[in-house]
Amino acid sequence: MNDLAKAKTYKSEVKPIWCPGCGDFAVLSALTKAFAYLDLDKKDLAVISGIGCSSRLPAYLSSYGFHGIHGRALPVAAGLKLARPELTVIASGGDGDGFSIGGNHFLHACRRNLDLTYIVMDNEVYGMTKGQASPTTKPDWVDSPLTPHGTGVRPFQPAAIALAAGASFIARGFSGDPNGMTKLIIDAIQHPGFAFIQVLSPCPTYRPEQKLWKNQVSSFPHAPTDNPLEAATRLYADDGMSSGLIFQSQYPAWQQTSAVTASIHQFEEEFIV
Amino acid sequence: MIKPESIEDMETFLALSYLLETESSDRYEELADNMQAHHDPEIAHLFRKLSHYGEQHASEIMEHADGLVLPAVASWEFEWQNPEGPETTPFEAIGFHMTADEVLHIALANEKRGRDFYAHIAEKSPTESIRKLAAEFSAEETEHVQLLEQWIADIAHKISARPEDLDPPNIPE
Repeated sequence: MNDLAKAKTYKSEVKPIWCPGCGDFAVLSALTKAFAYLDLDKKDLAVISGIGCSSRLPAYLSSYGFHGIHGRALPVAAGLKLARPELTVIASGGDGDGFSIGGNHFLHACRRNLDLTYIVMDNEVYGMTKGQASPTTKPDWVDSPLTPHGTGVRPFQPAAIALAAGASFIARGFSGDPNGMTKLIIDAIQHPGFAFIQVLSPCPTYRPEQKLWKNQVSSFPHAPTDNPLEAATRLYADDGMSSGLIFQSQYPAWQQTSAVTASIHQFEEEFIV
Repeated sequence: MIKPESIEDMETFLALSYLLETESSDRYEELADNMQAHHDPEIAHLFRKLSHYGEQHASEIMEHADGLVLPAVASWEFEWQNPEGPETTPFEAIGFHMTADEVLHIALANEKRGRDFYAHIAEKSPTESIRKLAAEFSAEETEHVQLLEQWIADIAHKISARPEDLDPPNIPE
């Protein structure tokens, strides 16, 4: 069986209902190819998500999965990784889920540097609720009736904030380059720490102008660095439309050091029932 | 990254050719599933038909591999002209309410890229047997191009405007 045939075995029987042309298809495809390439055993693989179009992802995979609540993919993923450190844990979701509702969790997940991979499919819009501005929406986007004059607010900068918060692997992918993304996902899973990938993933329905991203995205013009200052300087000069591995360091991954010291029964005794 | 035209051994060339066809066929299948999910059985059926042809081409390639052990190759290891293999439809190429004509034009563009890909290898490969087989594959792709052009011509009289979407997804509530 070649990797393409093996990749198909990581897909579930549930067919994606994403809009035709959605960038999230490419992420699903890249993920399954990465799993096949790394020959991951499905019983040792869990994909955890929050809420939103892209958070449907676990349903489309045949691994273990948890389609959780809005913005809470990372706490669930972190809990799972602490309880079952031998698992490969992937958290996924969209820009609203990850940077607004789950923004605080994002900061602390970066800081803790648990050995997780977090993939955010960023389309700069809340698609599932029919097209409202998200944290990464540009201030002058006026196509939503809720923000007819634009948000007037500077967008969240995912890669720069991940760097400031202490993430040890920061990359940006593009759904128009599924092969490049597969490679990034492989590197992210192999990285021993918190690996964050922001994927530029166009929404053809609410942001049809993003179809032009394929002409705008270029390769990140620098080799990856392990120097945060250098990465910060590069990101400050970056227009947010480049893809590739930006920063990778070997900060020690956080893990539970002490063994369990109490039984479930002892925990229950602490609570008034 | 490996330049496809620099491949020197037949095993890797066949593995690459097989990959190219299966990647293309798998993608048609994914697009068919997507159109099916959005209640467009006619276009889903067309994508499945294209996927089936891709599978047939992949099987034909494997006939050349009889007795050989093909290496494992991954699409991202190669330097393509496009982000993926030449015959793979980009996910972003499709949309709601496509016409058969639009689908066939996508397939035609894929086959033309496949034809040109093999023609380039037929010209540049350092190995004579690969040059010869690549020329054969390019001729086959040329036939596929002609078939698709004929298919497009045959349905030309049936082409209607893009169907009206009575329930568009992007009307804000």
